[in-house]
Amino acid sequence: MASAGKGTRGALNLLKNLPRVGLNNIKPLPGAFFKAPRRMGGGKSKRKCGRGHKGQGQRGTRPRLGFEGGNTPFYLRIPKYGYYENHSRRRQYPPLSLYRLQYLIDMGRIDTTQPIDLASLTIGRALNINPKRQHYGINLVEEGADIFQAKINIEVQYASELAIATVERNGGTITMSYYDPMSLHILVDPIGFFTKGIPIPKRALPPEDLVEYYTSAESRGYLADPKEIQKARLALAEKYGYKLPDLSLEERFKMLSIRKDPRQVLFGLGAGWLVDMNRKTVLKPTDPELLEFYKS
Amino acid sequence: MAAPFGKFCPRLSSRLSPSFQAERCTTPKVSACLCSQQATSPSAEGVRTDPLKPAQPEFVESREDFKWVERLIPRHQIPPIPEHPNYPTPCGWVPPRDPPPDLPYSVRRSRFCHIPVYQRFRKGGSRKQTVIAHIEGDIWALEKELEEFLPAIIGRNPAIQVNEVARKIVVKGLVMEEVKKWLLEKGF
Repeated sequence: MASAGKGTRGALNLLKNLPRVGLNNIKPLPGAFFKAPRRMGGGKSKRKCGRGHKGQGQRGTRPRLGFEGGNTPFYLRIPKYGYYENHSRRRQYPPLSLYRLQYLIDMGRIDTTQPIDLASLTIGRALNINPKRQHYGINLVEEGADIFQAKINIEVQYASELAIATVERNGGTITMSYYDPMSLHILVDPIGFFTKGIPIPKRALPPEDLVEYYTSAESRGYLADPKEIQKARLALAEKYGYKLPDLSLEERFKMLSIRKDPRQVLFGLGAGWLVDMNRKTVLKPTDPELLEFYKS
Repeated sequence: MAAPFGKFCPRLSSRLSPSFQAERCTTPKVSACLCSQQATSPSAEGVRTDPLKPAQPEFVESREDFKWVERLIPRHQIPPIPEHPNYPTPCGWVPPRDPPPDLPYSVRRSRFCHIPVYQRFRKGGSRKQTVIAHIEGDIWALEKELEEFLPAIIGRNPAIQVNEVARKIVVKGLVMEEVKKWLLEKGF
């Protein structure tokens, strides 16, 4: 270290060898800055405990944040635009990962010997779909694509390309299907609907902006041409580099090829039918006009 | 019904034509179900028919189709886990070893048959803990084994709390994955 000799020589030595003066190596002399000790109640003798004097502030009855005395507050007055416009009215598709689907199949909560739709997923408690919250169905998500191993016939509302490829590679089939909110209510709670004593309504067709999606073969739409779908299956297999299993050789081929009619909400139950839970029967109309209506 | 829709979406209406539907659908349609079950109306001549009562019955009953309703009835119990050829299953689940390991304590599986080790975040997320629940038998023996096992992960003197009444052990720190694996290796 620097040898602090006497006089100028010593001082010059120090200057030569000590580190440069910076904010990290200086401090004031003790007693240079005086910080007055905090007294309870401040300078004058106050006994309000920081709450002020009278009024809503002291009494703790202030209204909610943003309230402006009754006029429409600023945060409600200003309209949303762009990304946030009508966000509460947009269609939502809560996600279901392939990992969770595989987990439910492993635990025996979903039966792979039957076609899987939103009703079976609700019974297996896969996830909570609430049509009142603008949920329009399920979005099959790719998480777990590497561990997925089940042969299923599944019907969802949206799936990405990799999710479709994973299902088809394992020898299953996947279809994208549209359910309007009324049909979704029935699908999510069918027994609750049957107890109302209303005949099963027709499922509505998709709105204009969704028609293109549900009629395209690439997205395996339920309104697409089956021949186009077969071509798309082969194209996807080529793209992702797997061999597409021949489903016609499967013993479950019949189950894998079951699809709902575009106007049908539940498997095996047609539009216009009435379910009697007490007598355990299904009542079907015979009037030709009604049949014509429900077929259209 | 299809005509006004056809104006907006000509592609769609062609896809809904009866011939196209007949090709692609394998589920029984309304008309197909009814053909075989059409009831005959009393049509003897000379019998006065009541104009208020319809000649044909308004509906047809079917008990066979109720099976499609039975599969929609929700479950009220957790179904038993099916047998798998290999373990772990594709999602990573392993059943408890049979017979159970010969230890003074045992860690029972949860109702969904998972290992009962959970993470707990309290005090706004700053207090991180790991909880081992459903411990039966000598809980202090498990605590002693944890004191030997945890220093390698957390560091020396791991903070462990034993709750004999609630039958759980709380460890300070997030060690859920390691403890689960360790208990699985023991056979619980």
